[in-house]
Amino acid sequence: MEERVSPKTVLVVDDESNIRMALQFLMEEEGYAVRCAADGDEAVEEIKKSPPDVVLLDVNIPKRSGYDVCQAVRSDPNLDQVRILVVSALCQHVAIEKATAMGADGYLTKPFSTADVVDKVRTLAGRSN
Amino acid sequence: MHERMSLRARFALFFALIGVAIPVVIGIAMWLAVQRMEDNPVPPLVLFGGAASFALVGIVAWVAQMFDTHVARPIVTVSRDLQTFMHANPEHEIHEDEARYLGVLGPTVRQASEAMRQLRSDIDAKVDEATRSLEQQRLRLETVLRDLNEGVIVCNLDHQVLLYNRKALQALYYGGDLGLGRSIFTVVNRPPFLNTLERLRNRFTSGRYKQHTDHLMAPMVFATPDGRHVLQGKMSLIVDEEEKEPQSYTLTFFDATKQIASLATRDRLLRDALEEFRRPVANLRTTAELLSQSTSMPAETRKKFEGIVAEESKELSDRLDALNEDYQSIATSLWPMSDVNSANLLSCLARRYRDHPVLRCDVSGEPRWLHCDSNTVIELMDRLIRGILEESGAQTYAVEATRGEKRRYLDISWGGDPVRASTLESWLNEQIENGAGTMTGYDILEHHRSDAWCERIADGRSRLRIPMPDPVAEHTKQESGAPPIRLEFYDFDLLPRIDDGGDLATRRLRDLTYVVFDTETTGLEPSNGDEMISIAGVRIVNGRVLTGESFDKLIDPGRAIPKASTLVHGISDDMVIGQPPVQDVLPRFRDYIGDSILVAHNAAFDLRFIELKEKETGVRLDNPVLDTVLLSAIVHDHTDQHTLDAVAERFSIEIPEEKRHTALGDSLATAQVFLKMVDLLEANGIRTLAEALAASEKLVQIRRRQAEY
Repeated sequence: MEERVSPKTVLVVDDESNIRMALQFLMEEEGYAVRCAADGDEAVEEIKKSPPDVVLLDVNIPKRSGYDVCQAVRSDPNLDQVRILVVSALCQHVAIEKATAMGADGYLTKPFSTADVVDKVRTLAGRSN
Repeated sequence: MHERMSLRARFALFFALIGVAIPVVIGIAMWLAVQRMEDNPVPPLVLFGGAASFALVGIVAWVAQMFDTHVARPIVTVSRDLQTFMHANPEHEIHEDEARYLGVLGPTVRQASEAMRQLRSDIDAKVDEATRSLEQQRLRLETVLRDLNEGVIVCNLDHQVLLYNRKALQALYYGGDLGLGRSIFTVVNRPPFLNTLERLRNRFTSGRYKQHTDHLMAPMVFATPDGRHVLQGKMSLIVDEEEKEPQSYTLTFFDATKQIASLATRDRLLRDALEEFRRPVANLRTTAELLSQSTSMPAETRKKFEGIVAEESKELSDRLDALNEDYQSIATSLWPMSDVNSANLLSCLARRYRDHPVLRCDVSGEPRWLHCDSNTVIELMDRLIRGILEESGAQTYAVEATRGEKRRYLDISWGGDPVRASTLESWLNEQIENGAGTMTGYDILEHHRSDAWCERIADGRSRLRIPMPDPVAEHTKQESGAPPIRLEFYDFDLLPRIDDGGDLATRRLRDLTYVVFDTETTGLEPSNGDEMISIAGVRIVNGRVLTGESFDKLIDPGRAIPKASTLVHGISDDMVIGQPPVQDVLPRFRDYIGDSILVAHNAAFDLRFIELKEKETGVRLDNPVLDTVLLSAIVHDHTDQHTLDAVAERFSIEIPEEKRHTALGDSLATAQVFLKMVDLLEANGIRTLAEALAASEKLVQIRRRQAEY
């Protein structure tokens, strides 16, 4: 009997609907099960409800910032498996260091190439086992 | 018995001796002659007459010699002592024992000099008292001026420097030698100064300044002569109290080189960005519109256009990345920042909590240099600490400057959980109290191109980390230790001086500019392979030794230094390794000297070394030279002790032991000795350079003739 491996899940968090749509499409093409959230509160809710394998997280989101979401996830031992890929328009070196210090597993600067996103998500999803 | 006799009795005795001797000798001679006179009177007369004359001459000579030793010389000594005491050295002792045959002259002169000393001391005390508060004020103003963050220079209308502060020296150091009495154009280029001064003078003479918003001030941009450093500032014309005549001008400025370069870079980036983005955006727009609007596009064409969209998007994205890199590399922001030592900054912060009922803040870790605006950073950190206290209740904090792999940080740590990111964000969005104007924490962070975050660290502690820019300058360990030196960086007596290029020889000695110099060498034989190993000089301007404008260089002699010579001047072989050779040092020394008159102790010796290097270095010193050995022989002709130690002792000038036989130490001592000599020379009727040179030359001639005998 073939064991059905359930697809890895990705949560896309961004307040811009264009980006959400694009990333959702991209991830689904790659075979991931995708959910979306448009703000920080929704993101934390979704993560706690059903922890995804990878979170594509924008930092500049309403209600709770991406950093706050990051911190919340990292401070919950039940969510240790969740990998966080911060996607942000801020490309200062300090911003990248900050994201890493807050517990992000990777960082992508907008504008990014789709190949980069796919690559990084694949790496992180592989790690979330 | 001799000393108890009065002076007159002594003189009387001398002359009585002569008076008695003459007839006695003549009498004896005559009697002897008469004894032989029977046969032929002439030869015996001649014989004994001659003998008598010789005897008389001998007696007179002996008396004259006694007179010289016991009367004339002591008088000269006492007179010189008195002169030295009056004009050069109030501590000088009168040699009373030398005058022991002059009766009460010695003790009387001594008593008079003591009374005078006492009187001087009383006057000095009164003057000191009266000027003490004035002096304090002056010191305060001096300190303020010296340590201003801007460079300050004051010049007379001939562009000679009357005043400069430390910042001015640092900023213009690259251009040349900034010094009192020197033309400012040794360190800056002319046209901006001439033009701006002319504009200001016109503004003044026409009376327009009264309505002008800037009064007698004009902004100015100028540069060092090589053009590599650009400075920006303001020139102000100073007029005398009755507002009749311009007197001088002040310049305040800062080094704008980096700032201007950064602004230029920013302009260029913006310009390039606009140009570089235009093309891909244009392509993207056209292609995207075509794709969305065209309904009948063949599939192949559609595919091509889709490819173009992807290509141009990538192009645009790459250019954006490149622009960001360039932008990040512009170090300075327009917010005023400076290199700050974290020890100062953090102890300032910690001091705020000294009297706090619960909060304790300790500075830990090594001090580090940071580039920041310390005031706003302290306000920010204070706000954050108080926030953490309120949020978490933690009472003890450690603040530290740390250095990571890529950058430096200011860290605040405490025992407890990290602050929530959103809480931190809300604090940073608030306006900071006591900040300069309205500023949020994020604004302060933005000025420093920084951010802040909270993370958990070891041992149940948390840390709030703020990255900080690296210091701009290199800071070495020696910097903070040395106390500030009080420099003679102003002389308003130079104000009216107009260098009319008048005859140097006829100007008064005390008005001239000198460089007093000295060298240390490997030995005493310049023509026999000995070389210079150190050369130093100090400037004397307007009768003041400018210790802050000295020249002091070690020279690599290109040969070994004999141990015996090292024992004298303390310079050993390893001290001269890596030092510049004489071909580099002498030209710089010549620039330092300029047109000044040279002074040295035993100048011929030092000058000979320099002369022998003329071919190699291209340095030929044509300046007039005064030798303090010769000058000492002129003013103190009663002694033959003219070594630097002996002369210094006569003038009560102390040379610290460790400085003796160093080029700079000896130059300083010689300079002080020289100034005292100028006073004595004037007392002896030698007032001008020509007179001093003539007197020196005369002495040289005398000595030369004496040596021939």
